[in-house]
Amino acid sequence: MMLQLLEKIKSILEYLGGVSEDLPLESLRWMRGPLWWGTWWAVLILSIVAFSGQSSKFIYIDF
Amino acid sequence: MRPGLRAGRRPSDLQHLRLLPAVPLPGRAGISIRARIPAALDLRIIWRRFLPLLFAHSGRRRARRFLPGNFRVGIHLQPALSKRFLALLDWSCAEHRLPGGFQILEFFHGPLFRGGRAKFLPLGISFFTFEFIHYAVDRYEGKTEAGSAAEYLSFILYFPTMVAGPIKRYQDFLPKVRNPSKDTLENWRIGCTRILTGLAKKFCVADVMTAFTNHLNKADILTAQRWVLPLWLLAYGMKIYFDFSGYSDIAIGSARLFGIRVPENFDWPYFQVNIAEFWRHWHISLTRWLIDYVFIPLGGSRVANSRIWANLMVTMLVSGVWHGAGLNFVVWGAWHGALLVVHRIWIQLRGPAPPDRGFIRLAASWAGTFLWVNLGWAFFSMDLSTALLFFRRLVGG
Repeated sequence: MMLQLLEKIKSILEYLGGVSEDLPLESLRWMRGPLWWGTWWAVLILSIVAFSGQSSKFIYIDF
Repeated sequence: MRPGLRAGRRPSDLQHLRLLPAVPLPGRAGISIRARIPAALDLRIIWRRFLPLLFAHSGRRRARRFLPGNFRVGIHLQPALSKRFLALLDWSCAEHRLPGGFQILEFFHGPLFRGGRAKFLPLGISFFTFEFIHYAVDRYEGKTEAGSAAEYLSFILYFPTMVAGPIKRYQDFLPKVRNPSKDTLENWRIGCTRILTGLAKKFCVADVMTAFTNHLNKADILTAQRWVLPLWLLAYGMKIYFDFSGYSDIAIGSARLFGIRVPENFDWPYFQVNIAEFWRHWHISLTRWLIDYVFIPLGGSRVANSRIWANLMVTMLVSGVWHGAGLNFVVWGAWHGALLVVHRIWIQLRGPAPPDRGFIRLAASWAGTFLWVNLGWAFFSMDLSTALLFFRRLVGG
């Protein structure tokens, strides 16, 4: 039960992050539309802007 | 009308480049924005036909000699060649100045290299050298075709992955360059989502963690309360994951804008229930490279137990030395090598874990793996004496 829930959360996060292209649940069909993606991108951009200004370099860049 | 857009003539690829700034102007020159966007956004054309040529004719004589050198040799490398595998690797190291060579030199002659390394070490050399070696070895073993010079240069100079991976494979990359995905809108949707997700991971999580990881120094460790120490280390574990997986997301997303999928680098590594699974899900492209070009040539797992354990240790030590010049990275590699050896012995003694083990056993396995991996970050994030001080304070108070 718990593992199934974790699997569902994982697949939703993968879909939101662009890792998976398949909709994790049929009940989330509304997540396919451009309105949803526009809203999600806006949330991501606002988060990035809100936290910007404290940047450090990527750890693996100079390996 | 823009130059080169005369009626009845198909715009060349270079003209696609010129079209880029014109995209936001609807109705210009009688072409609707709907018709022009796909052509302008079709960066694959620019990438496939122009960037390799730009780089190959950049006027830098050394660069021109350096890159085709690997390709020319690759063309002539056939499985029937009598050269031995190690001789080939030696040659590859010599020609491409393996970063490992730099790391080893720096390890033994630190003071000589200190401060000067950045002046002559090209950005990303550690990563594209992996691809040079992969190409040379796989050509030698007949596992891949040579491809054309442009295809080879596209592979080596593919900028989204050039600086810090994911480390690609030529045989996987070639079909994608020859026949990239043509679903431009979907590629851009996925690509932009990946890039934004990567940036969010970096800015919103990794950089926030920096406030805690900055305390991982001798002065702060000596004065801090004991209960804070594991939190600082945990913060470093989160930082390195969100930092590098965020970077990988940006690289994978950028590659996707060109219609090309590159390998994934992370697949929920902190949720794995043993150390072998952790390494199959952490920096996946490097782990696969180490397995194919270090572990298997050493004999892999088809040798006596003691040799398997030695092979695991050597592979992880190579990984440690690659990550940085310093004893702490050697110890970090040895730490993970030892964990893999212990896990292998455990499997041999107890047999593989049953798939239907209960939630409690699964959670215990996860917690153990998470704990050992995160303790190992102490050697990755601090020099050896600071890491030892950290453990002394953590255990002894």
